[in-house]
Amino acid sequence: MNRHVVVIGHGMVGSRFVEDLLNRAPDTHVTVLGEEGYEPYNRVLLSEVVAGKVDVASIALGHVAPGGAHVRPGTTALAVDTGARTVRTSDGDDVPYDALVLATGARARIPEVPGLMPPPAGVHALRTLDDAREIVAATVNQTRAVVVGGGVLGLEAACGLARRGLDVTVVHVGPHVMDRQLGDEAADAVIHGLTRLGIAHRTGTTCTEVLHEPGPDGGVAHVRGVRLADGEELPAGLVVLTAGTVPETTLASHAGIATDRGVLVDAHGRTSDPHVHAIGDCAQPPEGATGLIAQGWEQARRLADRLAGTAVPVAEVATLPAPPTDVVRVKAHGLTVVTMGETRPSVPRTGCRTVRLSDPEGGRLVEVVVDGEHVVAATCVGAPEVAADLTTTYTRRTPAPRDPAQLLLRRMVGAGAGPEPSPTLMPDRATVCRCNGVTKGDIVQSWRTGARCTEDVARATRATTGCGGCTDAVCGLVDWLTRSDPGPAAVQDRAPDPAHA
Amino acid sequence: MTDTHCPYCALQCAMTLTGPDDAAREVGAPVTVAGRQFPTNRGGLCQKGWTSAQVLRTPDRITAPLVRGDDGELHTTTWDHALDVVEDGIRRAWSRGGRDKVGVFGGGGLTNEKAYALGKFARVALGTPFIDYNGRFCMASAAAGANRAFGVDRGLPFPLADVGGAQAVLVLGSNLAETMPPSTAHLAGARASGGLVVVDPRHSASAALTDDGHGVHVQPVPGTDLVVLLALLHVVWAEGLADEEYLAARATGADQVRRSVAAWWPERAEQVCGVPAAQLRQVARLLADAAPHRGGGGAYVLTGRGVEQSTQGTATVTAAINLSLALGLPGREGSGYGAITGQGNGQGGREHGQKSDQLPGYRKIDDPAAREHVAAVWGVDPASLPGPGVPAVELLRRCGTAEGPQVLLVHGCNLVVSAPDADRVRDRLAALDLLVVCDFVPSETTRLADVVLPVTQWAEENGTMTSLEGRVIRRRPALAPPPGVRTELEVLHDLAVRLGVEHGFPTDASVVFDELARASAGGVADYSGLSHRRLDEAEAAGEGLHWPCPATPDAPHPGTPRLFLDRFPTPDGRARMVAVDHLGPSDDLRPDAPVYLITGRVLQHYQSGAQTRRVPALAAAQPEPFVEIHPLLADRIGVQDGEMVQVTSTRGTATAVAHVTAAVRPEAVFMPFHWAGEGSANRVTTDAVDPISGMPEFKVCAVQVRAVPTQAPAPAQTTEVMA
Repeated sequence: MNRHVVVIGHGMVGSRFVEDLLNRAPDTHVTVLGEEGYEPYNRVLLSEVVAGKVDVASIALGHVAPGGAHVRPGTTALAVDTGARTVRTSDGDDVPYDALVLATGARARIPEVPGLMPPPAGVHALRTLDDAREIVAATVNQTRAVVVGGGVLGLEAACGLARRGLDVTVVHVGPHVMDRQLGDEAADAVIHGLTRLGIAHRTGTTCTEVLHEPGPDGGVAHVRGVRLADGEELPAGLVVLTAGTVPETTLASHAGIATDRGVLVDAHGRTSDPHVHAIGDCAQPPEGATGLIAQGWEQARRLADRLAGTAVPVAEVATLPAPPTDVVRVKAHGLTVVTMGETRPSVPRTGCRTVRLSDPEGGRLVEVVVDGEHVVAATCVGAPEVAADLTTTYTRRTPAPRDPAQLLLRRMVGAGAGPEPSPTLMPDRATVCRCNGVTKGDIVQSWRTGARCTEDVARATRATTGCGGCTDAVCGLVDWLTRSDPGPAAVQDRAPDPAHA
Repeated sequence: MTDTHCPYCALQCAMTLTGPDDAAREVGAPVTVAGRQFPTNRGGLCQKGWTSAQVLRTPDRITAPLVRGDDGELHTTTWDHALDVVEDGIRRAWSRGGRDKVGVFGGGGLTNEKAYALGKFARVALGTPFIDYNGRFCMASAAAGANRAFGVDRGLPFPLADVGGAQAVLVLGSNLAETMPPSTAHLAGARASGGLVVVDPRHSASAALTDDGHGVHVQPVPGTDLVVLLALLHVVWAEGLADEEYLAARATGADQVRRSVAAWWPERAEQVCGVPAAQLRQVARLLADAAPHRGGGGAYVLTGRGVEQSTQGTATVTAAINLSLALGLPGREGSGYGAITGQGNGQGGREHGQKSDQLPGYRKIDDPAAREHVAAVWGVDPASLPGPGVPAVELLRRCGTAEGPQVLLVHGCNLVVSAPDADRVRDRLAALDLLVVCDFVPSETTRLADVVLPVTQWAEENGTMTSLEGRVIRRRPALAPPPGVRTELEVLHDLAVRLGVEHGFPTDASVVFDELARASAGGVADYSGLSHRRLDEAEAAGEGLHWPCPATPDAPHPGTPRLFLDRFPTPDGRARMVAVDHLGPSDDLRPDAPVYLITGRVLQHYQSGAQTRRVPALAAAQPEPFVEIHPLLADRIGVQDGEMVQVTSTRGTATAVAHVTAAVRPEAVFMPFHWAGEGSANRVTTDAVDPISGMPEFKVCAVQVRAVPTQAPAPAQTTEVMA
C-alpha cells in the first residue's frame, strides 16, 4: 500500500502523527503542509520559556527522518476540494490525497474588547513561539503585567512572569480561577499559593478596555493597562491574553465538512467526509475536546494505527479502555495544581465516595472521588507528592485502598527510618550487619563467649566483614558492652540465662 | 593456602581457602574461607561468600553419573554408560534431522575456559547453530546498548574503585546492597556528599542507602524507568546543563536525542512514572552539578537488571548512556557509564562464543573475517562453522518442536527456576528426546534430565573469570574433587572424541586459555597478551589486568583499566547517541490483573538458589519465597503479614507468604525468584523479550493478588525446607 497521506499542520499533534504513522508503515507517502516556518516545537513548554526555566532550543521536537515525509514548512493550505481530493496551497499547487489529516490546531481567543483592534504593542497571546519570545523580550523593560484569563495557561504565565520579577495581576471572568476544573474551596487554595508568590487576582470581572498610549512619533501605540468592569484600572506595560482558544476549522467548514466548535469527528477521528480526518485541538470528538496534549497524542496514535492497518481489533479495544487523558496539571514553580476526571462540584456523583483534606492556611486541598474500586476523579492543590501518586493510581486504574482517606496524604515509604537507635535501646533481633545477617543479639552473644573488641566480634560473627558499613554501629555496641559490667552486666538486659543464673 | 575468588556474583570477591578450622569442620566445610584484600572487595565478604565452602560438602552432592531408567527414575551409572547414552542420543537426533537437532545451553557462571570450550564444542563437534546461555537473562540488553553506543561492551569500562571518588552516582535497577554487598563500600563517597541516587520501585536495601540525607530514592511505577531517564535528559537540556563541548567533540546523534526528549517534560513524565516533577528536576541538577564540565567531583550512571530485564531494556540502557553522554561522563577518569554485571563470569561468559551470534573475542559469527580468523585457530574450514542461532528464550521455545533441537545439553544453569514462564520451560524440556545436564548438585533441572553428569565445583578447578570491571582473574583449586567427578573440560573432550573430533578439546585449563587468547586476538575482547602464568605473576605483583590486553612483540601490554579515554571504538571514534521512546511493559495492567509483579533477589541466595539453598545458615536466614505487599494493598485484599497470598498472571500462579511492608509501591508486589515449586516467581513472569537484545521481561508483568484461604500449616513442608 502506498497511499498518499496529506497532513495539514505541523504542530505537536501533526508531527507526532507523522512519526507514529511512519513508524508503523514506513513506506507511506506523506506530505506535511506546515504554516509556521519553524520546525515543530513543544507548545506545552511555552509557559516555561516565559518563566525562563527552559532553553528555547530545547523545545524543538523530532525531525522527520530523511526519506520519510515530505515536509513543506511555511506552506499554507488554502482550500480543500473533497470531490477532487486535493489541497490548494499557498505555493499555488494542488496536492492530491488519498487520506487527509487536519491537524490545524487552535488559535488564541482574543477577547472582543475596545483597545485591542489593532492590538497595541505589549499585548500578546501565548500560543506560538513568537508570542513567547515577545513576552520574554517585554519582561526586560516592564515591571507590571496583567494576565487576562485565569485558566491553566494563565496561571502558568502569571507564575512565570512573577518569577521574572514582574508585579502580576490575574483577571478572570469566572467566579474563581480554573473554574473549568476547580470548586471554590480548591480555588481558594490556589489563590493562597498565588498570593504567596506575590500574584494578585481579580475574579468575577472582565477586562472592558485595553488602555494604551500613542507610540512615539505616531507609531504603534503601547499598552499602559486595562480597565475592569467595575471601573478599576490596572496599570500594566505587558498584557498577556490567555482567554482560551478557538479551534481552527476554517478550511474544513469551507470544504463543506461538518463543524461545530471544532471539526466534528467520530471516535476514530473520521470527519463527515470519509477521506478526511481531524486530530488535536482542531477536532471535536464525541467526548469533547480537552485541549490537553495527551488527548491529541492519543488521537494521533489511534489514527496512525488505523491508517497503517495496525489497529487492535475493536472487540479488544472494548475490553481495554484507553488510559484516561484528562489529567490537568499547572506547570509552575511553587504552585502545584493537578486535577483528573470530572472534578467540578456541580456535576452530581452517584455511588461514589468523596474524601477531602482541607488545609486552607497551608494552601492545600486534596479531594478524591472513589467508585469503590478505583479513583475516578481527584483534585490536588499544594501537595505535589500526593498528586504524583494520585495520577498514577487514576491513569492505571490500580486498586484504591479500602479506606479512600488513605489517598489524601503522602504514603509512607520505606521502613520509616528514624534516627539510629542507641545500642541500649536497639532490640536484640535488630540486624546490625546486613551483609552477614548479624543481629545485636549475635554480637552480645559473642561478647558473652569472650569477644572483647571489634576485631573479636568480627571474627566471631563476621559483622563488619562485608561492605564495612556497620563498623560504627558495631563499635558502638562494643563500647556499650565495655562500659557495662563485662559479661554478666551485658547479659542482664537479656532473658535470664541458666548458665549465669 | 589458596588465593582464589568467590564462586558467586560478578564482584568476584577475593578470598583465601585453607584447610578447615574448627568452625569450618563444625558446618561440614572442607576448607576455611577468609576474605582477601583486593581493590573490589577490600577484604570483605558477604554471608554467601563466607559460607561458600559448605556447598563443597553438601550431603546431596552428585558424585556419579545418573541415567534415567525404564522405570522413569534416575539411576547411578558409570561414565562410559552415561556418555554412551549421550552419544547415542546425539547421533539419533543427527540421523533424524541433521546437525541442528542438538542444542547447547550454557551459563554465565562458567569459567572463561569452559565458556570458550562450550562454544567451540557446539560449532565444531556438534556443528549446531543452537547455542545460547543464561547470560541472555542477565546482560544482553546492557551489551546491546553499550555495543551500539560505544562499539564495545565491557560492563564497567573503568575499575570499580574509581566509583568511590565520585560526587554523585545514579544507580538504576540494581540492588547491589543485597546482590553484591561488599561493593557498596564504593558508594561511600557519593553518600557522603548526598549524591547517591537509586532508582527502584522498591525501597530496597540499596535504596535505603540514600536515606538520612545520603541521596535520593526515586521510586517509579514498575516498567517506567525509561521515562525517568527521558525526563532527566529533558531537564539537562532544558536547563542548559549539558556538556555541549563534549557532545560536539565526542558524540553523534545528540540533536536527535535532544528533540526526542523535548516531549518528556517532567510534569508529563510524572503522570507516567509517578515520580514528582520536582524530584526529577532535583536529580538532574544533582547529577549535572557533579559532572566534570560544571566543576563537579565526578558522576557515574550505573544500570542493573531492574531496568534491563524489560522489553525496552536496550532502550533504557541507551537512555542511561545518552544521559551520561549529555553530561560528558564516559571516557573521563572519575566519571562514566557502566552496567553492573550479575553472574560470576557474566562478563567473560559473553565474550568467548557462548552467545548464539558470537565467536570468541566478542566477534560476530556472521562476519566473514571473524569466521576466517577463528576457523584458522580451530583448524577447520570457515564454511563449516554454523551461522547465527537464536537467543535463549527462542531456543527454549523451540526445544522439542519440529523446528528445534531434540537434544539439549545444559551447563551451569538451573533453567526451570531461572528462566521466565517456568511452567512452559518445563513443558519444552519434557518434550525433548534427550536432556543432558552437567551439575554438581541435584538442581530442579537435573531432576528433569535423562542424563546427569557430575562436574567439579569452583574450589576444585583451575581457570579464569572476568569480573564486572573487565579484570581477568584466576580461579585456583584448593582441594581435589570427589572421586567420580570430572571437569566440564574433560566431559567436552570425551564427548568430542566420541563424536569424531579427536583433537581440539584439551582438558588442561591453561592450555584452553592459551587457545582462547589466540582466538580472541584482534577481537574486541582481546586476551591475546594474557596467560595463566602472566595473570599469576601480575596478581603476585599487585597488578590487575583488564581486557583488552593484546599480545605485543616487546614489552607486555599493561591491560586497559579505563576505556574510551581517547576515543570510542566506533568507526568514527565517537559515541553514538540514539533516540528512544517509552512503550511500557508488554504485559500491562488491566481490570483482571490490576497489580504489577516485580521480581528480584535476596542477599542470602544466588540465582536459582541451587547452591545457596544448600547452605544451612543461608537457608535459615531466607528459608522460603515471599511476596512483599504494601499495607494498603494487603488491607484491600484482606491479608495479614505472614499469611499466604496467590499471585496469578495469564501464565501461572505462585503461592507464597506475604511480607507486608511499605517498601513496595501500593500497585506492585515483589517476589524473589530463587525458589522452585509453588512459590516460584518465574511461573508467573512473562517470556516476552526485548526486540534487540532478546532479553526477557522478568521485572514486570500484570498480576492478580489474592489471599489464600487460611488452613492449618503443613509441618511436613516446613521440615523439608529446613532439612
